Amino acid sequence: MAMTGIDFNALSLMDALDLAILVEDEAQERYEEFSEQMEQHRTPEAAAFFRHMAGNEAKHGRELSARRTHMFRDAPRSVTRAMLFDVEAPDYDAARAFMSPRRAMEAALASETKARRFFEAALNAIRDASVHALFLELRDEEIQHQELVQAEIAKLPPDSGLADEDFVDEPAPQ
Amino acid sequence: MNATGTCEYQAKDYKSNLKPIWCPGCGDYTVVQAIYRALAAIGRPPHEIAFVSGIGCSSRIPGYTTAYGFNSVHGRALPIAQGIKMANPDLLVLAAGGDGDGFSIGGGHIAHMIRRNMDIAYIVMDNQIYGLTKGQLSPTSQKGRITATSHYGSLEEPVNPLLYVLAYGAGFVAQAAPTDLPGMAAVIEEAIRYPGFAFVNIQSPCVTYGEEAQQVKGLKAISQNLVDIGHNPADRLAAMDLAQHYGSKLYLGVFYRNPEPPRTYTDLVKDRQELLSKDALPKERILDLFIKK
Repeated sequence: MAMTGIDFNALSLMDALDLAILVEDEAQERYEEFSEQMEQHRTPEAAAFFRHMAGNEAKHGRELSARRTHMFRDAPRSVTRAMLFDVEAPDYDAARAFMSPRRAMEAALASETKARRFFEAALNAIRDASVHALFLELRDEEIQHQELVQAEIAKLPPDSGLADEDFVDEPAPQ
Repeated sequence: MNATGTCEYQAKDYKSNLKPIWCPGCGDYTVVQAIYRALAAIGRPPHEIAFVSGIGCSSRIPGYTTAYGFNSVHGRALPIAQGIKMANPDLLVLAAGGDGDGFSIGGGHIAHMIRRNMDIAYIVMDNQIYGLTKGQLSPTSQKGRITATSHYGSLEEPVNPLLYVLAYGAGFVAQAAPTDLPGMAAVIEEAIRYPGFAFVNIQSPCVTYGEEAQQVKGLKAISQNLVDIGHNPADRLAAMDLAQHYGSKLYLGVFYRNPEPPRTYTDLVKDRQELLSKDALPKERILDLFIKK
């Protein structure tokens, strides 16, 4: 997880909302990418789960965007996607061909935990009361998401015991 | 379009519609994202960029961009990139490939690219294995490594890509890893902006045939930013000193940037052409050269 060029101490409410929207955008795109990767590698259950997560992130992004438009209309944005990396998006190396639904959900859980930690860490540096309130709200949402994913994991039957590596082609001398 | 009437490009403008077919978890996914970001920061339109690669998993990368792409011949990305640059020096030319493509099959080309100082940024995705052909020893595989072609462990020392290019006098040498995408995008951008041959070695884990220590977690454990240790990128000898730790320590950032870049090969050729054209016959009299007086 990384964020560059952002001074949380001086963050305005509009910038904070824009940042939150970009965080959701990044997560949505990553889940879509993961879903495509899983489809390419014949892992349909994980693909469906990642597609579902992309939909959730898109929904949160739309809600935040509506709020931003209501409060600040079309005022130009000063934060960009280049300033962040892997805030709520699952790490690229969390995906594996033939990953089980459990493992896919665990990757999503790790992402929600990562996002919660990000908002918690940022809260320490924020001075503006309205930005503080927004980040508290976002942190609480991440906690809620964590609980939702945990509940889904609890519903799953036990894994087959096969590792992803068991499905990979053996190395071959040429 | 911005207020001054010029186009501003975003990372997504360099992303093609082709979906990568790398293994999920592959380090190359981060590399292509870093390239999108670096190209957006440079701001050249996709049609002014030529992206050449060799053969291998990582050599698929030009196809995932909107630049002109050529997934060429094994080990021959650099000579083809050179030809493109010579034919049209105004193009921004990138070359990419894996460690096998660059340091085994195409190993002989790097030295000449460096001594000619072609204005090309060369990105090597170094995963220490031949992944596309299912896990054989590559030139950067560690000694002792057990693979499909080394059942009892490799007997050879690995090639050190950083030391290799520094020794030949490359003007820009950097290293990056998927542990730090913004850092990777920044060094690729800097490599592209460098006026001359620029080399970026990217430790890009192979999730299928790579070893545990070479995965992102393992890389994080041994990585250190060159800025944090106070390295001066103008100091070539210090860069060579640090480069010797390849394989045991992962230094990220710019190892060496020549503070006084020499003129590029295309500049020198242009000078030569101008000099020769002073006394040259006009085009319409060119046949006079072959007509006996």
